[in-house]
Amino acid sequence: MTDQLDCALDLMRRLPPAHVEDHLAGLLDLVPDLTEDLLSAVDQPLKIAYDNHAKRDYLLCDYNRDGDSYRSPWSNKYDPPIEDGEGAVPSAALRAIEVQANEVFDIYRDLYFEGGVSSVYCWDLDDGFAAVVLIKKTQDQSKKGQPMKGTWDSIHVVEVKDMKKTGHYKLTSTIMLSIDTETEASGSVNLSGSLTRQEEKDFPVSDASPHVTNIGRMIEEMESKLRMTLEHIYFGKTKEVVATLRNQIGNAELEKRKNLSNQIGSALGGK
Amino acid sequence: MGDVSNEDIVRIATDFLLNAPPGEFMEVVTDVRALLPNESLLNASALSTFREYNTEQMVQVTSPGNKHQVLISKVGEVSDGEYLDPRGRQVVQYDHIKQEVTGSRPLSGELDADVEPFRAAFDQEASRYVDEHYSPNGATGVYGKKEGGNYVITVCISSSKFNPNNYWNGRWRSIWTATFKPGGQVQLQGSLKVNVHYYEDGNVQLNTQTTRSASVAGNGNAPDLAKEVMKNIIKLEQGLHASLDTSYNTMGDTTFKALRRALPITRAKIDWNKIRTYKLGQEMGK
Repeated sequence: MTDQLDCALDLMRRLPPAHVEDHLAGLLDLVPDLTEDLLSAVDQPLKIAYDNHAKRDYLLCDYNRDGDSYRSPWSNKYDPPIEDGEGAVPSAALRAIEVQANEVFDIYRDLYFEGGVSSVYCWDLDDGFAAVVLIKKTQDQSKKGQPMKGTWDSIHVVEVKDMKKTGHYKLTSTIMLSIDTETEASGSVNLSGSLTRQEEKDFPVSDASPHVTNIGRMIEEMESKLRMTLEHIYFGKTKEVVATLRNQIGNAELEKRKNLSNQIGSALGGK
Repeated sequence: MGDVSNEDIVRIATDFLLNAPPGEFMEVVTDVRALLPNESLLNASALSTFREYNTEQMVQVTSPGNKHQVLISKVGEVSDGEYLDPRGRQVVQYDHIKQEVTGSRPLSGELDADVEPFRAAFDQEASRYVDEHYSPNGATGVYGKKEGGNYVITVCISSSKFNPNNYWNGRWRSIWTATFKPGGQVQLQGSLKVNVHYYEDGNVQLNTQTTRSASVAGNGNAPDLAKEVMKNIIKLEQGLHASLDTSYNTMGDTTFKALRRALPITRAKIDWNKIRTYKLGQEMGK
């Protein structure tokens, strides 16, 4: 079965990211036995839900899902409500960390994204805990006369090994970025995709530097690095590849310019 | 959850295959085969799916016995597995499953004698253009036929670069159709598709498509007409490429920056010891 999962994940790395939800649905029809594995391994653009108790938005993912219900990080309640007792919720101590993390990343989101929605979900592990930090931001400039739409989804999963005075943090970050434009001049242009990076670090743990602070620092560092890489790949690398396929200037002109710069070079260098 | 029918399985699998990025078709085939409950489910449709993919992508192959390239294209398809090589004055035989040329045969009436002077003139202009702007990765196929009282010349351009060692692949496809009565005005229709896939530690794809149309004054002299129409095609393609570059700049400068700032408005990274005071500051500012 691992073989099939590897092939499914390889396939998802090749199919057009703009239609990831459709492709995933098709995959689940082909290999229903892999449903749980695929739902947790394949990143999809985050969906937003509204918490009627806390009167604010929250994000949906596999980590706050129990059956067909989702838990809000603000009210800690499931929607639709789960009968026969509660759905899975973090322990009291962990919920305290979860509340703190949501508060802190709400500020982080405001500082870097100036909008959007964030949610943090925690769950217990044997020797510590894990958390997923989610951020979603959309931008629509179709109204300003610039027909462009963009969506940013951050999915940061961190595993924390609690060693009392130190914490060992393993972070896996995925950013999904999609930008679409449709104009008379260029037709429809769609740049979509995601990048994933991992990082492992130890941080001292204290009252001044609790887990949430360490996680925050690590995610800020990682997200900023990923933002630079995204910028380079999306607007640099893919554009370079287009230039490899078609040469706007033309070989004759390029030859002329090369000769000219050689002439200048030898005029400057020669005696 | 109901059982998925075999029909649905074939439809899903075929859709995956046809969406393979340039240069990665066989990798997608391998993945899809491993995910089928029964490999033989695709046997009946495999040939037509492979053929659809190859001709849609306008795969480039070397003309047997020549230096130039031939496009395996829908326009140039003479019969199942046979593709016209007008410049090489032959028909190329292509195995879609193995994705290779298996042979060739001489022409037997595939080129229309009336249209041929125009087709050949367009071929010459197009080849010059592709050498100038699409080398070394591009090739052109130029086809001619009669349709409903008109001459129809189709110029296909396919340019691809595969660099799997560096985790990227790309293809540019343009198809230009010139419809005219000899000496009469030319209706020019073009379509352009560019796909780029970058997949080091991720999956990023550029997909762009657009269409263009124009009218070009008629000319009974084939070389003159070809020059004039080609001039229009070149101008339109230059414009499209320039617009694509502009879109890139705007997406990068405007939309991307509006999604997430490089740094907060304080122009410094967050002081995590003090992050809760940012919130107090916000509330006080209200």
